[in-house]
Amino acid sequence: MLQRILTHSNKTDLVIDLAELISGFLLVGFLWVHMFFVASVLVGPQAFNQVPKFLEAYYLAQIGIPAVIVLILAHMVLAGRRIPNRLQEMKMIWKHSRLLMHYDTWTWVFQVITGVAIGILAAAHIWTVVSRWTINMSISAERVTQSPYFIFYIILLICGEYHVGIGLYRIGVKWGWFKRQKLSKVLDVITLAIIAMGIVSLFVIKSHAGVTGGGGQ
Amino acid sequence: MALRTLKLEIFRYNPNVSGDKPQMQEYILEEEPDMTLFMALTRLREEQDPSLIFDFSCRAAVCGSCAMLINGRPKLACKTMTKDLRKKITLMPLPVFKLIGDLSVDTGSWFRAMNKRLEAWVHTNKEFDPDAQEGRMDNDLALRIYESERCIECGCCVAGCGTAILREEFISSAGLNRLARFFIDPRDERSPDQYFEVIGNEYGTFGCVGLMACDDLCPMEIPLQQQLAFVRRKMLVAGLTGSGR
Repeated sequence: MLQRILTHSNKTDLVIDLAELISGFLLVGFLWVHMFFVASVLVGPQAFNQVPKFLEAYYLAQIGIPAVIVLILAHMVLAGRRIPNRLQEMKMIWKHSRLLMHYDTWTWVFQVITGVAIGILAAAHIWTVVSRWTINMSISAERVTQSPYFIFYIILLICGEYHVGIGLYRIGVKWGWFKRQKLSKVLDVITLAIIAMGIVSLFVIKSHAGVTGGGGQ
Repeated sequence: MALRTLKLEIFRYNPNVSGDKPQMQEYILEEEPDMTLFMALTRLREEQDPSLIFDFSCRAAVCGSCAMLINGRPKLACKTMTKDLRKKITLMPLPVFKLIGDLSVDTGSWFRAMNKRLEAWVHTNKEFDPDAQEGRMDNDLALRIYESERCIECGCCVAGCGTAILREEFISSAGLNRLARFFIDPRDERSPDQYFEVIGNEYGTFGCVGLMACDDLCPMEIPLQQQLAFVRRKMLVAGLTGSGR
């Protein structure tokens, strides 16, 4: 009790809540833009090869990537405080979800699971891309043809978009800016559309494997 | 619909009996036309097992005492028809609240503590004059206040809330809905800062992660999502403009 009084600041929880909200919003924006950049391959390999040049020209790679890493770490700490960390708490929430069979409670459980999964998968993804920086058709095509990278990207894509869609829904619901059912439908459509776009992009990238002239070196 | 033979699996445990262990007990019961779970449980107690503990009072979804987990979901037993359920029905007591025995829990102590913590009464410095006419209130405002006041304190929202289950101190949507009523009541003279001091934290409005089971499960269909969001927005403004530390 003494420590609680000494450390008491009634703004802390508000600031943390807002920081979680803002970091979440920025990551949603990042991920959606990221997927549109990837989808540039649907226009053609030339368009795809233009993306890294554009990123470098505007310092989006040099500053943007470290900024996104910091943002992800911050969001992991901020949103991660919600994750039950004791085994008994985990068992309680699992039991509760199974008993209740309530849609939005389940989506939260999966939000937590996908969040943890993204933390691991995105780290690997960032490492493989940054450790061999520049992006072009031949490097990407070679990468996704390597087993099990194709499956890895599809899992990361689904986890990422699911997490982002549900996260936005929860923000909207908590602050009451939208009607729940309508918001849920709109975000489901957006999420599915981006997942579909991402999967098609991956297949197109894969189809360029071994094709000469698309490399853009 | 043809009447069925119901199989009820009921949670049995009396914490006051030493050596008693929690278990599920099975009962077989013939369904009757327009049977509610209240009727089913009463027949079980009268005809099969007088030791069965459960709470009822009004039988009309007004008193809130018969809330329990019906097939895992918090609902009022008096308002639930057996024909809307499958043949096998599982009944458990509400979580979060103190167990009295079998299906009976003590929601009263929880709600009393919540009301005390929020000081859920009108705070005013005005001297009460018993001879004066009552102050007038706009009808729309009265209806908005009444919207929160429709809460029957059954505890379904608390029992359905994952956060309330994990954190004992969480005030839950029942508490936030209660406070929403005082925000808009012109007779209450508390400042936004004072409200913020009580619920502008993880145990109050910022503890809610938006699972929305409360909104989906409230037997009175109080629009809890809107109420919680209203409180959250009010607390955001109070926190950003207030003079707190």
